[in-house]
Amino acid sequence: MTDEYGLEVVEKEKIQYIVVSIGNEHYGLDISYVDNIVRMCKITRVPKAPFHYIGIINLRGEVVPLMSLRRKMKLDDDEFTDLSRIIILKTEEMGLIGVVVDEVKEVITLSEDEIDKNARSQSSEKANFISGIGKNDGELVSIFEISSIFDETDNS
Amino acid sequence: MDVSQYLDIFIDETNGHIQELSDNIMILEKEPENKDCVNEIFRAAHSLKGMAGTMGFKKMQHLTHDMENVFSEVRNDNIKVNSTLIDILFQCLDAIEGYLETVKATSGEGDEANEHLIKMLNEFLNGGGGEAAEPSEEKTEETAEETQDNAGDEDLEFKKLKLEDPDIDSLRQAEASGNKLYGMTIHIQKDCMLKAARAFLVYKAVEDFGEIIIYNPSSQDIEDEKFDLTFNIIISTQSDIKPIIEAVSAVSEIEKVDCEEVTSNYYAEMNAAPEDKKEAAGTAAPAPTEEKKAAPAPAASAAKGSAKNAPANKPVTTRTVRVDIEKLDALMNQVSELIIAKNSLVSISDQDTRSDENQQTFHEQIEYLERITTTLHESVMKVRMVPIENTVAKFPRMIRDLSRKLNKPMELYMTGEDTELDRTVVDQIGDPLQHLLRNSADHGIEDAETRKAAGKPETGSITLNAFQEGNNVIIEVKDDGAGLDIEKIKAKAVERGLVSEEQAENLSKKEVIDFLFNPGFSMAKKVTDISGRGVGLDVVKSNIESLGGDVEVKSVFGQGTTFVVRLPLTLAIIQALMVEVRDEKYAIALGSIQNIENIPVSEIKYVQAEEVIHLRGMVIPLIRLDKLLDSTPKEEESENLTVVVVKKGDSYAGVVVDNLIGQQEIVIKSLGKCIDNNKIINGATILGDGEVALIIDVNAIF
Repeated sequence: MTDEYGLEVVEKEKIQYIVVSIGNEHYGLDISYVDNIVRMCKITRVPKAPFHYIGIINLRGEVVPLMSLRRKMKLDDDEFTDLSRIIILKTEEMGLIGVVVDEVKEVITLSEDEIDKNARSQSSEKANFISGIGKNDGELVSIFEISSIFDETDNS
Repeated sequence: MDVSQYLDIFIDETNGHIQELSDNIMILEKEPENKDCVNEIFRAAHSLKGMAGTMGFKKMQHLTHDMENVFSEVRNDNIKVNSTLIDILFQCLDAIEGYLETVKATSGEGDEANEHLIKMLNEFLNGGGGEAAEPSEEKTEETAEETQDNAGDEDLEFKKLKLEDPDIDSLRQAEASGNKLYGMTIHIQKDCMLKAARAFLVYKAVEDFGEIIIYNPSSQDIEDEKFDLTFNIIISTQSDIKPIIEAVSAVSEIEKVDCEEVTSNYYAEMNAAPEDKKEAAGTAAPAPTEEKKAAPAPAASAAKGSAKNAPANKPVTTRTVRVDIEKLDALMNQVSELIIAKNSLVSISDQDTRSDENQQTFHEQIEYLERITTTLHESVMKVRMVPIENTVAKFPRMIRDLSRKLNKPMELYMTGEDTELDRTVVDQIGDPLQHLLRNSADHGIEDAETRKAAGKPETGSITLNAFQEGNNVIIEVKDDGAGLDIEKIKAKAVERGLVSEEQAENLSKKEVIDFLFNPGFSMAKKVTDISGRGVGLDVVKSNIESLGGDVEVKSVFGQGTTFVVRLPLTLAIIQALMVEVRDEKYAIALGSIQNIENIPVSEIKYVQAEEVIHLRGMVIPLIRLDKLLDSTPKEEESENLTVVVVKKGDSYAGVVVDNLIGQQEIVIKSLGKCIDNNKIINGATILGDGEVALIIDVNAIF
């Protein structure tokens, strides 16, 4: 791409995010980690599992563990509605993991300079999982750091 | 010719032949006159040679060729089998295995020529009949001694160099031009990091005085650091020897320099002289030094080779299963039947399904289909099943070696080698079993005198029993050695701060024995290279647990120890009883279920505040599955309890469930890494209606 002076404009890397709502906040999940989005289905509770794992589900013949982001961030427990969705994330080391969200909003594209990396001053639990704050049409979207969600060390 | 496509077959078959050789040589050691056995060995060695030749592995071919020569002589009664020969043969086998490993990793055979082995074989061969066998035996004993202690350093290594004719010619030429010849053996310090660089400095220092005629090892090998801590040179010089020694010693990290004047005639004579003469000449036979030099070299080069190759290229082999053609035929038949069943279902679905008659045939077809899928599953599992034979076959050899090394007479008895297990399990069970056997050999079996004093036969026996029990395969490693000293283990546990003294007093025998599986817990008084470092039983346990099995220890002090390894027969599909706890469904493997009982609440008794039931003369602890699984508490207890009696080894437990659903074939799925910290649940399965049910690991409730 060239601008009006015929100079090459360096494209900042743009990343697509899926915007979901949990409680009354919006969060962005890097789309490259997202394998699938499915409706709520029957969840099988796993006794003695870590608290933030709600259970396991059957994803087309595969057993996939389900994590509650609300529990992970120490928010109120999930209430499943018609809008609730399970986002199946795919990670290198953990394989498939589902996370429950209240609602899936849209897909947005943000370039790196649209994400404020310094805005993680909050002291709350969830700040650990946020890599930055993106701005989208005047709304703020907290960007999840996917790898830290699955990091078991900081959280029980 | 591109032979890479045959590599898999080559590796597979070579493994087979090596095993065959090893087995037969073991037999030969016991019955040196067994002609059948010699013939078998000859055949195997011959096939090995042929295959190595076809694949273009020249060095391997060379070695096997010489082995074959020896066997051929043995077969013709020209050579008697003795323990020296057996030892050499086993070394050769190890070398071939070494080649095979290199082939597996790199698809080339590597650089190790194993010349010392070839030489040993040839010496044995040239030694001729029974007479020569005697002296050569002495010689190898010497070899052993010399390799063990480093006193061998005293010998002047350069004197034992075997020189080729051209080399001797150049020595003669140097002599003719009026130069003196000096042989030198340079010893480098053990912790030297840059051996090649030191050697190079030595060469430079020497070259100030004269010319180096002979390098041993070759200068190329020196450059590649393919030598141990010593190397030899022969120099021709006008100068006196003293300044040369000083100059060489001045090079840092040089430990010692041996130097003496030599003549070309000396080496020429050496070459011409037959083996025994050389011994008479006062210098030790070449074999010891050759071996000493060469022995660490393969290890080093192998290590180097693997380090180089490991990150870069993956092993060239794929994991294969050899399948009996009969099993495949059965599989094929069942698949054809499956297709027929499918076709009949299709034809039924074309017709009006509401008529009663069609309903009837429909159900029949479904039953038929069910039967086929079950047998199909069994056949596929059978294909995956391999006898543990391949894994355990190497153990007799290992125990034989250990027996010699530890100087304790012992025998390994194996039963049930034909017990079949899933391929993945068989592959991974080798190391843990090997460890348990080493453990038995090193710590379990006492030395001959102690055994005699205790009234036991002098030869210790280690038994490896494998058999099937329900859905499990049990492998027992049993020794008739000293047994575990519970008090000693307790003391050690207290000493290591694992428990306080008072706690230790109250521990049951089983709890005490469990300390053995703690990381770093070793009862060995001294650390040997066989065991005793305390790295081991914990690894054994975790290895076996990762396969879904467990280890148990039984021991009677003074009479021996038994390690019982319990492994699941298959990893993928099991028959299970589906039960209900509240509204959740769980599966219990049918293999561990003994029976199912209806017990009135009033029959529950209490022992030490634990619920038990009395059943046909047995007192069985009662386990409330709902409590174990943190289910929602029940509002009111019913008068009758449904109890599933499960067993693990000799112990039983009654598992209380709410409801029985029925028997079902289930496919085991892993829970994934994030929630597998749960011992009671060992997997999940997907039911017909798409719901996920958890599988209870009965072994974990005990």
